[in-house]
Amino acid sequence: MPDPVSQIIQLVTSTYFLEIVLFPGLTSIAILGAFFTWFERKLTARVQLRIGPLYSSPVGGILQGFADIIKLLFKELIIPEGADRFFFIMSPVTALIIGAALLGLIPFAPGIQIANVEVGLPAFLAIVTLSPTLVLLAGWSANSKFPFIGGLRALFQQTAYEIPLWLSALGVVMITGTLSLTGIVQYQQNNGWLIIPQALGAVLFIVTSTAEMERLPFDLPEAESEIMMGWQAEYPGPLFMLVQGPAFIKLYAFAALFSTLYLGGYLGPAIIPPIVWFFAKTIVIIVAIMLFRSTFPRVRLDQLLRQGWTTLLTLSIVNIVIAYFIVV
Amino acid sequence: MEPLTSFFAVSVILLGIGIYGLTTKRNALRILFSIELIYNAANLNIIAFARLRDPPIVTGQVIVLFTIALAAMEASVGLAIIMLVSRLNVDIDLRKLTRLKG
Amino acid sequence: MTDLTFLALATVTIASAILALEARDLVYGAAALGITFLGMAGLFFLLDASYVATFQIAVYIGAVVVLILFTVMLVGPQMGEPPMELKRLSLLTALLVSLLLGTAGSLTSATAFPGPDNCGSGCDLIGLSKTLINQYGVPLEFLSLVLAAAVIGALTLAKADRKG
Repeated sequence: MPDPVSQIIQLVTSTYFLEIVLFPGLTSIAILGAFFTWFERKLTARVQLRIGPLYSSPVGGILQGFADIIKLLFKELIIPEGADRFFFIMSPVTALIIGAALLGLIPFAPGIQIANVEVGLPAFLAIVTLSPTLVLLAGWSANSKFPFIGGLRALFQQTAYEIPLWLSALGVVMITGTLSLTGIVQYQQNNGWLIIPQALGAVLFIVTSTAEMERLPFDLPEAESEIMMGWQAEYPGPLFMLVQGPAFIKLYAFAALFSTLYLGGYLGPAIIPPIVWFFAKTIVIIVAIMLFRSTFPRVRLDQLLRQGWTTLLTLSIVNIVIAYFIVV
Repeated sequence: MEPLTSFFAVSVILLGIGIYGLTTKRNALRILFSIELIYNAANLNIIAFARLRDPPIVTGQVIVLFTIALAAMEASVGLAIIMLVSRLNVDIDLRKLTRLKG
Repeated sequence: MTDLTFLALATVTIASAILALEARDLVYGAAALGITFLGMAGLFFLLDASYVATFQIAVYIGAVVVLILFTVMLVGPQMGEPPMELKRLSLLTALLVSLLLGTAGSLTSATAFPGPDNCGSGCDLIGLSKTLINQYGVPLEFLSLVLAAAVIGALTLAKADRKG
């Protein structure tokens, strides 16, 4: 058996490790998460004819995300009495780890992918199914009524929308015949972007992933005006940052998955490098999902669950039938 | 140590832990944990033996797909029963729940 | 690299399995059970069974652990554990059973299973799906019927609770 110490040294000094830590790994995820915070506030402000964050830097408040992080780090850390400290702190941390793991599966450019698993798409969706557990634990561990109700609502919502999510991605798998994300991008290189034969599937995917991420119009579990921020209510300063972080990382991960599955990932004419194409498509999808927030009213919980279990499930089965007729 | 022996050892240790929990604990939920551990030990065993044969066959993975689904179903129905029993009796000590009626 | 990964995964799996049974609070036990399942998924990845590993994560950790947590939170705290004599007997039983199985396994495993390094057609994803549909198509249909029966059973139990 080779020496474990030499194995560890060999791992740390490889380019793979740099890929994990710097780009497209942990550091870039942290910086982009802070950037998307500013981006969302600016975009929703402009849609609502406001100005949005302005004073954090000379260039229109672009450093607002980092200013928020510094402010939250200086706040007082109050954990409620009787709260379960271990799960209270570990649930958002684990959600951050899950978000980073999601981004490790996506091909950013022809050579840059942290984990090229041959079952990339089911692995992504399987890791997504871990998040209802964490939200339930976070809501329960605060030992207070509003967070627990918010946690249960989040659990119901996310569990209800997992099945339409898997089924709308199944249409893509039926057409391309492969489960790995690089294989799907290769297929789109030869046969055109998959959004054309799978238009219904793409719409379903974006709706169910918005519901899975608990963004407006589906954000009843963390509704500010209804149940006092729901399961995030008891999280003090620095931990609040840990709770908001996974929301934006999941947004980034789902937008990246959408552009990989339906818009061809890093494909595009070779005058612009592939990674710029990838980020351009991802940012277009992120802008679309953020525009949902400014446009639609909040959906009530029973309407939401009814839609998830009946309408969206039926439409995703219709999508599978359409994919069958395209393949055959 | 050969790979098959080490995977088999892990599976047997998990099986031992599961049997210990099954016979010792009297909280119904802990017994359910032990049952799930025994399922997992058996799954690991099946996949290890199918992979580490001389020509590896894929039947092990197929069987484990079935057993994972069946174990999940059994756990869900078992948990529903436990929740109902606790509503009716308040106590889920399995040594006291020896009658089928009520 | 495989040896270090295998040792780490095996240690995590076994340690969290023991923790799942011995933790005082059931929620900690359920979370430790989730980590056991995650370690099992890692071991499946090491055995080139990648689709089964993702299935394990999605079904066991994504659904079974959530169900267990839900039940634990709704059932509430329960009482303690039996006295020590019974525990010692059960520990002895578990040790004897493991010893018996381990002996049986080591008698078979030493020479008959050399274990090739690359898996070829035995771990192929397309081979898996073809075997599943061609040879195991009928059990697959039966599995879906059993799933439907389990859903109907759980719904009936939930309804019985509401009425009575």
